[in-house]
Amino acid sequence: MCYLSREQSGLMTPLVVPTSAGDTAWLLISAALVLLMAPGLALFYGGLVRSKSVLNMMMMTFGATAAVLVVWVLGGYSIAFGDDVAGGLMGNPMQHFGLSDLVSGKADSWLSVPVILFALFQGLFAVITGALISGAIADRARFGAWMVFVSVWTLVVYAPVAHWVFDFSREGHTGGWLANSVGLIDFAGGTAVEVCSGASALALALVVGRRVGFGRDPMRPHNLTLVMLGAGLLWFGWFGFNAGSALAANHAAGLIFATTLCAGAAGVLGWLAVERVRDGHATSLGAASGMVAGLVAITPSCASVTPIGSLIMGASAGAICAWAIGLKYRLGVDDSLDVVGVHMVGGIVGTLGVGLLGSPLAPTAVAGVLYGGAPTQLGRQAIGVVAVLAYAFVMTFIVGKVIDKTMGFRIDPEHEVSGIDLVVHAETAYDLHATAGARSGPFGH
Amino acid sequence: MDGYYSWMLISASLVLMMTTPALALFYGGMSRTKSVLNMMMMSFSATGIVGLTYVLWGWLMSFSSLGWAAADPQDPGWDFATLFANPFDQFGLQGTQPANYVFVAFQLTFAVITAALISGAIADRVKFSAWIVFVPIWITASYFPMAHMVWGGGFLSNAAGGLADVIFSGDGSAAVAPIDYAGGTVVHINAGVAGLVLALIIGVRRGFGKEPMKPHNLTLTMIGAGLLWFGWFGFNAGSIVFTSTKESEMITQFTTETGLVWINTTTATCAAMIGWLVVERVRDGKATSLGAASGVVAGLVAITPACGALSPLGAIGLGLIAGALCALAVGLKFRVGFDDSLDVVGVHLVGGLVGTIGVGLFSTSTGLLYGAGVRQLIVQVAVALFAVAWSAAATLIVGLGIKYSMGWRISDEAELDGIDFAEHGESAYEFGSRSGAMVHGPVAVSRQTTLQEQGSS
Repeated sequence: MCYLSREQSGLMTPLVVPTSAGDTAWLLISAALVLLMAPGLALFYGGLVRSKSVLNMMMMTFGATAAVLVVWVLGGYSIAFGDDVAGGLMGNPMQHFGLSDLVSGKADSWLSVPVILFALFQGLFAVITGALISGAIADRARFGAWMVFVSVWTLVVYAPVAHWVFDFSREGHTGGWLANSVGLIDFAGGTAVEVCSGASALALALVVGRRVGFGRDPMRPHNLTLVMLGAGLLWFGWFGFNAGSALAANHAAGLIFATTLCAGAAGVLGWLAVERVRDGHATSLGAASGMVAGLVAITPSCASVTPIGSLIMGASAGAICAWAIGLKYRLGVDDSLDVVGVHMVGGIVGTLGVGLLGSPLAPTAVAGVLYGGAPTQLGRQAIGVVAVLAYAFVMTFIVGKVIDKTMGFRIDPEHEVSGIDLVVHAETAYDLHATAGARSGPFGH
Repeated sequence: MDGYYSWMLISASLVLMMTTPALALFYGGMSRTKSVLNMMMMSFSATGIVGLTYVLWGWLMSFSSLGWAAADPQDPGWDFATLFANPFDQFGLQGTQPANYVFVAFQLTFAVITAALISGAIADRVKFSAWIVFVPIWITASYFPMAHMVWGGGFLSNAAGGLADVIFSGDGSAAVAPIDYAGGTVVHINAGVAGLVLALIIGVRRGFGKEPMKPHNLTLTMIGAGLLWFGWFGFNAGSIVFTSTKESEMITQFTTETGLVWINTTTATCAAMIGWLVVERVRDGKATSLGAASGVVAGLVAITPACGALSPLGAIGLGLIAGALCALAVGLKFRVGFDDSLDVVGVHLVGGLVGTIGVGLFSTSTGLLYGAGVRQLIVQVAVALFAVAWSAAATLIVGLGIKYSMGWRISDEAELDGIDFAEHGESAYEFGSRSGAMVHGPVAVSRQTTLQEQGSS
């Protein structure tokens, strides 16, 4: 990721770089920031569902965090970042089992930061990507089926895709095909994270089917303050996601910080403008969603654009996603919390946007079409989008179908109507009555 | 080492965030609607009080006898029988070397969260004034000395004449050094034991074991758990102690050890969450979100003393054990009959013991399971037992002193009506459909109306 510019100019990354305390400090806090995006997402999603299913929504994110990270330590990291064994398609799955070979750190390695920290930083990307999918199957999925799904999905969908996109070749190590043979520029995961989670969400929404009452009953967000708190934490965490992907505390990290900030702000404005013109009101839900849409779009392009470019990128993503989330009602797919409309569409906007808005002055040093560059890079970006989208959709559909046929993905329709929290987790989120638990009496204690 | 310095600044901030607001949210969501504000106030007030005492005499009582922490490195202050150092050596940080300020800040946040953790054992029923008096005395009697013993070269460190030296004597110091990377004894066993003793002194809540006392807002608890996890990276990865003073070797240690600590902190926590949920699923049939949040904390507690000594696979093993054991332990309070309201004992004492003793099993260099014999295990058990005894004695004296002077409990009437209103004059929520719509005057009126409506419905 950090050596992208050297890749583009045809130089191999040097085998050994000196370790740096400053880079390590920045990656430590960045990794913690990316982990914070998980509870941020849990709040964002939790506030969007109804009060009878908020705990299940949050549990899908918390559960995914635990399952994905354990699977990542055991095998996922090796598939993604092990030496290539299948022509750029996947790494050696046994190479770093349990990360045991990374425990005794070496003073000099191919990174200026601890490789074991890099391994977990990447694992957190898998966590976020997996957890994002849960938004498409809100209110209706069995918790056990979800836990099995997200573990298998990490190994067969995310880890290979991460290998394609993020694993750069260096002396003595062969990486994935999109990064090295195609020359895709995806700095922090427009394809591997956003398009991948969006396409997987679409496939899983088709497998699991629509909620009872979809398109008929109003299914309004039950607590927009949680949504806004979650969106705020996501933005905060995204600095670790994007600027941390520089893997160094340097000028590139500084520029990425700026573009990430600009795109989030422009995303809010783009989404609100569409709402104001189309519906007459700028909503708080729109502000939170627009922020996320802008951040999604800047994820692949954060090291390729100028601040002005990031403003255009964010505003376009906000406007396009605001329009795209309406499609689900026309297509009849219950992508409950708009994972497809925001993450897949936003990811495509951002990834293709590199080919349009890329600036030769930015760290990746590629000129987009609008900056007088050749359309070659746009083509490379399109190959990346199509490959990841198709692979994630097909594989997720297969994994989801198998789980649906064997253990079953849906809860009982009756339970879905009465509320998944009580049925699956034996809890309810709120007990807010002023006298709750106070005296025996009104509540039949 | 400017990179290390910036990491310590962010680490101290992260750990402060663990108390205010993360622990306040975690505990607040678990209590009932009528007592959430009091619960949060106990965390906030602990920050206020301990923050001041730490700067005035806490840092000195823990560390001033060490050369690098003394005002004059050639002439470090005395310490009393290796139990605590001179509290007046640099009173109020007068004369403290400026380079040490960041360590004062970092250690301050540890003392703050230890005190705040205790409050979960005594929810819903304690006078705010009694808590305000308890915190500074307890932190002085229990926490500051124990921090000195474990980290300040005192009785529970590897120093000559210390507990480990008594058991296996080496060449001028202990042959087997006790391992407590970030506070399994000082923070978690200490707070867990204090919670247990206080819960016994203060007694059960009215209706304990009879009425359901369900968490009133689990979304708050999950926010709190998520923020605690985030903050814990500062807690553990900021606790690195350098073994060399050469700049190049320090950079090497920093850029290898912090990564391992970070990953162990995460994998143990993930495994503990799974361990807790599996126990729940098997025992009760449902995996709960309260269980996930509690499992996260149990794993973090257990890995705290062990995070520098384990491999990622060892951390997964330790986390699974901690999650499962703590899930079983929180059920004990109903059988034994002490009201550890928010499971401080079940999570922090049990998790702290699992981690502290688990190091003797899972340590890659000295652990029993890695073929290095039982000596580390024996030292860890001895240190843990001493920490339990010290904390129990200190808490017993302070707790009983308050009980027989100013008294701990609020009146039964106030407890049933809700401590928020009785002690703080506020209530946390105003969600009624008519709130703010009509001129009702004081809050008490609208509360009364609500009660009447329930009576008639």
